[in-house]
Amino acid sequence: MGQSGALTADRLRPLVESHGQRKKKWKTNLVAYAFLSPWIIGFILFSGVPILASFVLSLTHWDMISPPRFVGLENYQLLFSQDSGFWKSLYVTLEFTVLSVVVTVIWALIMALLLNKRVKGIGIFQFFYFVPAVLPSVAMAFVFQLIFNQQIGVFNYILSWFGVKNGPNWLMDQSLVIPTIVFISIYTYTTGQMMLIFNASLKEVPKELYEAAEIDGASAWQKFRHVTFPSISPVLLFNLVMATVGTLNGSFSLIYPLTGGGPGDATNVLSLAIFTSAFQNFQMGYASALSTILFILVALISYLQFALSKRWVSYES
Amino acid sequence: MNKKVIVQSGNYLLLSLVALIMFFPVIWIISCSLKSLNDISSYPPQLIPLHPQFSNYLQILKGSHLLIYLRNTLILIVGNTVGTLISSSIVAYPLARMEFTGKRVVFALILATMMVPSTATIIPQFIMFGKFGWLNTLYPLIVPAFFAYPYNVFLFRQFYRTIPKSVDEAAMIDGCNHWQLFTRIIAPLSRPIFITIGVLSSVFWWNELFTPLIYINNELLKPLTVGALTYFTTQFTTLYNLEMAMAVFMIVPPMLLYLFAQRYLVEGIKTTGGKG
Repeated sequence: MGQSGALTADRLRPLVESHGQRKKKWKTNLVAYAFLSPWIIGFILFSGVPILASFVLSLTHWDMISPPRFVGLENYQLLFSQDSGFWKSLYVTLEFTVLSVVVTVIWALIMALLLNKRVKGIGIFQFFYFVPAVLPSVAMAFVFQLIFNQQIGVFNYILSWFGVKNGPNWLMDQSLVIPTIVFISIYTYTTGQMMLIFNASLKEVPKELYEAAEIDGASAWQKFRHVTFPSISPVLLFNLVMATVGTLNGSFSLIYPLTGGGPGDATNVLSLAIFTSAFQNFQMGYASALSTILFILVALISYLQFALSKRWVSYES
Repeated sequence: MNKKVIVQSGNYLLLSLVALIMFFPVIWIISCSLKSLNDISSYPPQLIPLHPQFSNYLQILKGSHLLIYLRNTLILIVGNTVGTLISSSIVAYPLARMEFTGKRVVFALILATMMVPSTATIIPQFIMFGKFGWLNTLYPLIVPAFFAYPYNVFLFRQFYRTIPKSVDEAAMIDGCNHWQLFTRIIAPLSRPIFITIGVLSSVFWWNELFTPLIYINNELLKPLTVGALTYFTTQFTTLYNLEMAMAVFMIVPPMLLYLFAQRYLVEGIKTTGGKG
């Protein structure tokens, strides 16, 4: 009897409170969304509507002079046709992104491992390792054009010490330009950012694990493979995603001042192709079709990130 | 003991080699900025200029619009930093310290928009700002900052979450509403993240190339990046020495900023990789 009485009271309490609670909750929501309002306006004006508008524009012909004309999927047909340059552009984008992600993640990890050596003056080394990351890509492009110049470049001069005479024209050679730009991407902000993130996570690896491994007589490689690597693998995954998105987003600032997409279309990544067709050839519809495809590409990668992030979060706790 | 010395020297050697690779471009910029055009083209290249030409700097100061570019860059930095600090700090508040309907959706949208490249949304934005009559003005580059950048919202949220909830409860008992709680307690306690985002935003706008390249055509409104790029690509022969002198003006301020605000910069970037 007493039991059922308690039950009734328990059932009644939510009913009694729900009216007041609902009112309070409504007020809280109102306050919360008032705080969020700058972002809501920004999201609508600068992300949501532009993404939809981009898709709508991709169904038109528009040169910014005469009014836009609806053409259905013609831009996409044009895009996917053999001689449009789109496939080349997509290929270069993927090639550059994959190579650049692999190289910069490994390089950032190497730098972070070095910065974790117990030696004096590590702050000075961190300055040298990180500072290129905060320098403007335009200034870096200027100096790398000079460094990799065929005749007067210091890089070919250094190669000549090792017997390589008449070094190649690194930034003007169809087959060498991508590897060269991938090398230059170790100087970008994304790489510096990953280095600092790796550096912080390496400091959190428990020291006892290393000591235990040393007692067992583990070599430096075995320690890395069996202690360091498992401890930082969630961060490694995070950095891989950061590097992918960072490379796709930052490819314009890196490549445009360096090569302008050349030689030929050897480095004409999607972001450059969008820039050229929209703001130099004024083919707004065609450029919007490219934008839509770039957006889908990034959305797929972001989705992958969300799927994978579930795994790395579970490591944390 | 002997083995330890060898290991330590090996460490220093490796550390220095990587430092040389990373810092070489900076050394080369400074070196070449002091050479004459002849010395730059001479073979073998010299690390230390034989005849230092400090006149290169003067020529850039007088012969180009450097000071005007610099002014425009500073306007962009101040406008964007003020805008994003105000708007992003406000937007992050309910995400960190309130329970409301749709919180997860809003947060997921903010994370998702962090990934959208600016090239994917630039065309409709360009058209929209054109309709406002804002092309060839600095407005399209500054006004969006007042509507919260997702990345900065995320950084603010991460920091707010480290402040104990008991602070809110005490303030609520004293009769504070959320706005008062934010302006009088949470924001003042969050000084470090305000400085961090200020520093990150300054670095970003010092280096930003894409958006100003699209919106600005007027020589007198160009920021440093666009100014330097267009100044040297319109000439028939590249005056490498002057280009490097210009580059010196572009790299020294971020290096100084790193030296003075290292702690904030490094903390801010590490937060990105921290636990969500």
